Amino acid sequence: MKKVLSILLSVMLVAIMVAGCASSKPSSTPAAPETIKIGVFEPLTGANAAGGELEVEGMKLANKLYPEVLGKKVELVVVDNKSDKAEAASAAARLIEKDKVSAIIGSWGSGYSIAAGNIVKEKKVPAVGASCTNPLVTQGNDYYFRVCFIDPFQGTVMARYAFNKLGAKKAAIIQEVSNDYAVGLASFFKAEFVKLTGDPNSVVETSNYQTGDNDFSAQLTNVKSKNPDVIFAPGNFTESALIIKQAKKLGIKTPFIGGDTWETDEFLKVGGAEVEGAVFSTFFDPSVTMTPESTKFLDEYKKAYPGKEPAAVTALGYDAYILILDAMKRANSSDPVKIREALAATKDFPGAAGPITLDVNGDAVKDAVIKTVKGGKFTYMDTVKAK
Amino acid sequence: MKKQDKILTIILIAGLFVFILSADLFFDSYIKRVLNLCAIYTILALSMNLINGFTGLFSLGHAGFMAIGAYVVGIFTVPVEMRSMVFYLKPMHPLIANIELPFFAALILGGLLAALVAFLIGAPVLRLRDDYLAIATLGFSEIIRIIITNAQSITNGSLGIKNIPPTANIWWIFGTAFVTIVFIILLISSSYGRAFKAIREDEIAAEAMGINLFNHKVLSFIIGAFFAGIGGGLYGALLGTVDPKNFLFVLTYNFLLIIVLGGMGSVSGTIISAFIVTAGQEWLRFLDEPLSIGSFDIPLFRPGFRMVVFSILLMLIVLFYRNGLMGTKELNWDMLKRIGSKFSFKRPKGGEAK
Repeated sequence: MKKVLSILLSVMLVAIMVAGCASSKPSSTPAAPETIKIGVFEPLTGANAAGGELEVEGMKLANKLYPEVLGKKVELVVVDNKSDKAEAASAAARLIEKDKVSAIIGSWGSGYSIAAGNIVKEKKVPAVGASCTNPLVTQGNDYYFRVCFIDPFQGTVMARYAFNKLGAKKAAIIQEVSNDYAVGLASFFKAEFVKLTGDPNSVVETSNYQTGDNDFSAQLTNVKSKNPDVIFAPGNFTESALIIKQAKKLGIKTPFIGGDTWETDEFLKVGGAEVEGAVFSTFFDPSVTMTPESTKFLDEYKKAYPGKEPAAVTALGYDAYILILDAMKRANSSDPVKIREALAATKDFPGAAGPITLDVNGDAVKDAVIKTVKGGKFTYMDTVKAK
Repeated sequence: MKKQDKILTIILIAGLFVFILSADLFFDSYIKRVLNLCAIYTILALSMNLINGFTGLFSLGHAGFMAIGAYVVGIFTVPVEMRSMVFYLKPMHPLIANIELPFFAALILGGLLAALVAFLIGAPVLRLRDDYLAIATLGFSEIIRIIITNAQSITNGSLGIKNIPPTANIWWIFGTAFVTIVFIILLISSSYGRAFKAIREDEIAAEAMGINLFNHKVLSFIIGAFFAGIGGGLYGALLGTVDPKNFLFVLTYNFLLIIVLGGMGSVSGTIISAFIVTAGQEWLRFLDEPLSIGSFDIPLFRPGFRMVVFSILLMLIVLFYRNGLMGTKELNWDMLKRIGSKFSFKRPKGGEAK
């Protein structure tokens, strides 16, 4: 029995090895000058696989729509970073050294992008992040860009919304302290809210929780006793939905506002009727076409994935790809350094998720969309202009 | 050690030196990065094997000790003028804001701090045995991570630290790995090492022989944690960035995997399997690429498939080599010669032997 098994398995191993040789050959010896390669590193397995998958969806769609640039075919080289930082750095190095890509897109999760940052800087290959919002990604790195706005902007937008639209004078924050995104949003929300109200004590309570927690009664009781006008709770969708649910049970009627991570089906599923009326900022809404490119993206998306609404990060993945293509056209070259220069000069580029202008740090300056949950669905409320 | 073996060992070391030199000069940054990662994982797995394999303490706290080492390197080697940029939400605590240490000092400090924490944790916890010890150490490693997450003015919290200078090149990393290997081998073959093994085999018998159980357990735990801190520091410097999510308890399982695969209680086994596991995962990447025969795309070949295959390979090894590749044996020249004479038509090849 054991012998049979071991023979079987050895055969399998050999088969895999043969398959390896077979598959690596055509990819390493394509007629090199005819294709331009764009590398993609995303978490396709591990904890963040869902997010990575959505972004790649957008890039593949864009690749199908615009398969050529400068008269050459564009090839997407997708590698998995396993939701692991060390792996993300290796993946980026592999794209540059082995696949000789002209530019890189990625990654969902700012930590992975930061880990790859050193390599793209050293090897002078430009990278465009789709949805990594931590300011540290592009800071001090001339070769990293992104098509999304950053945490400070989103926190500021929500503070203005709370002050201007809700008329809030006192706010409470419940933040997912182990999440860089939530901490960033919360701190810029606080700064802006204090500035708007002119009262240094206008943020009456800041409570923390860890990723994966599922009982929030302590934080909520604290918040309830301070009686705020609004509760800002940036964090992961599951935990946030639970917070809102438990708040309603405790009899808290204060409105909840948050960030773009809430825009997932799980948020609605976990929260049910209780998340009705929750308000958050995000990048994109299918019902508002911000540019002609939005219409094009939405039409193609409906064709490719019938019956599905595109996620904001899918639109951003799409934008990252077309932005790189546009930079190649403007540079009239597939040389990484020239692409970088063209990218840095991007101004009012019509992306599917709104026009993109890149500032000196390489961050996109663009409008934010405010949405709410109405009738068990995400509904568009408002667009906030970037100054 | 026979004279011939000594010469062979010297040749091997010289060969490795030449290999690293040529790697540094001729290999591209991708291969160098994978090699560096292999060597760092060797250090971490060896230090864990000292605790788990040689002393028989089932500890799962390695990610925590690594985090301490990585963070000390991160905090003290980032150039002072870049710090306000990294700590943009909350400025660094004034006590440490202007202290900048050279890489080597920070690395050693990280190791020492990890060892200190291991002592504080170990003193109460090492009275536990088996699964209880595993759970307690796992818990402590999570506590370390959560403290790091919340100490915003020292560690920058969940935002992480970036701009760690890329000092850790292939020489640093392989040099440290070499020192670690030599130290562990010397330790294992000293009287302390024999006491560790005696504790692993039978605590009561060891105690009856006059071995102070508690002292030896704590010693092994502290030394293991020291090298885990060093390994963590190199890991942080290689990546150029650290954040608390790096050091989730799942990271510990990487090293557990390596030592179980290589053999609990075998230095050479650990080294071999650290290289196989780390490089193997990279090598299997071709499985993630789409493969088509003619115009037919085989649906299996897509991102994630390599991990499936990797898991199957692991199960096989565990099924057929119950004690890992090496068990508690060590790869030495006699063994290589025996293997060599079996396949006398082939030239014997030296691996990562000692």
